[in-house]
Amino acid sequence: MCGLAHYFESEGLSTILVGFVREHIEVIRPPRSLFLDFPMGRGMGKPNEPEFQKKVIRAAFELLEASSGPIIDDFPEIIPVKEGRMGYALPPELVLSVDDIGDVDVVLSEVRNEMEALRPDYATAIAARGRTTVGASGLAIEELAPFVVSFLDGEIPKSPRKGVPAIPLLKLVVEDLEAYYTETRTHRDSIDDLELMGEWFWEKTKAGRLLLLLEAVSVASENKVMLQIVEMSLMAPRFWSEGPLPGTSAAGW
Amino acid sequence: MPAVGRHFMSNLELTVPTNESWTNPVPANERRVSIVSTAAVSRRGDKPFSWLAKDSRTFHKTDRDLVMTHVAVEFDRSAWQQDLNTIIPLDRLEEMAADGEISSVADEHYSFMGAADPVTMEKSARAAAAKMKQEGVNTVFLIPI
Repeated sequence: MCGLAHYFESEGLSTILVGFVREHIEVIRPPRSLFLDFPMGRGMGKPNEPEFQKKVIRAAFELLEASSGPIIDDFPEIIPVKEGRMGYALPPELVLSVDDIGDVDVVLSEVRNEMEALRPDYATAIAARGRTTVGASGLAIEELAPFVVSFLDGEIPKSPRKGVPAIPLLKLVVEDLEAYYTETRTHRDSIDDLELMGEWFWEKTKAGRLLLLLEAVSVASENKVMLQIVEMSLMAPRFWSEGPLPGTSAAGW
Repeated sequence: MPAVGRHFMSNLELTVPTNESWTNPVPANERRVSIVSTAAVSRRGDKPFSWLAKDSRTFHKTDRDLVMTHVAVEFDRSAWQQDLNTIIPLDRLEEMAADGEISSVADEHYSFMGAADPVTMEKSARAAAAKMKQEGVNTVFLIPI
């Protein structure tokens, strides 16, 4: 993002950047930057807190008053993160193997039942917010779990979405699944806690277990892209974990 | 910082620009603001971003039905699920325009794939800048994910 600032600025547009990684800002030196000591994914700090959000914007726009730069300022308020990580991370010891898969019909049935039970609260959340972020994959909600399950035998299924190959689509399906769960719970239980939501979805739900089984299949896969999505922590949240997933090196990063 | 994240951060190759640009800002009451996000958001039904996309997507200031196709999972998605303004503060900017803190909010806003090297996005960024200037934008608010 810091690099983009120079392109826009050189086109005669004044830029203001907010950023989470001060080291990168200091090296790339965009014209005007406000460092935010917030978890990544929360540039304006807090959802549904308009005054806090405007405080961030005003602090950023204040930098437009400087007559020269580059200028870096620090937003005075901090939103703490757990143990230096900027998002939820799976415990390194929570790893499943392909031997844990068992009967795939049972796996699918359990997830379907769980999702069905959440459906009324999901609908309520959409009605209250007027929007949903579920749908990046383009698949219907009832198609999400079956598509993931179709990978559990180690074969790569055909993509049902034209123009999007199966594995990139799988990534979007995984994110849609998680969004379905977390959108429901954040609204139903008035929770705004990324650690709590990550722990619940990945460690306690049947859908989370399904995705850990998928991860096990990926690690064992001979398909390079399937292996890449675990090597690079592109599916299960292990980027901030204390150590890479066993069987991988995290060398992709 | 935990192990995998630290490895990534310390090994990331940063491209340092050779020329540092500076454009004098206009007064606050003349600011027409466009947001540039690297959250890889797009309108529902748009083509998803590829994992190292060089291109961008455009959305209108009234668009709220956005989805995210960012490749990385190391950032929190629960905040934007609750409130789009947490990452793309269109409502806040509209309120600030109504209060006279800025002049106006641009019609069009832009999204890139933050996982890609910004050097590869130069062409798309300059194309976005050209469109911004066509609609009178003079101020760009850059917000990463």
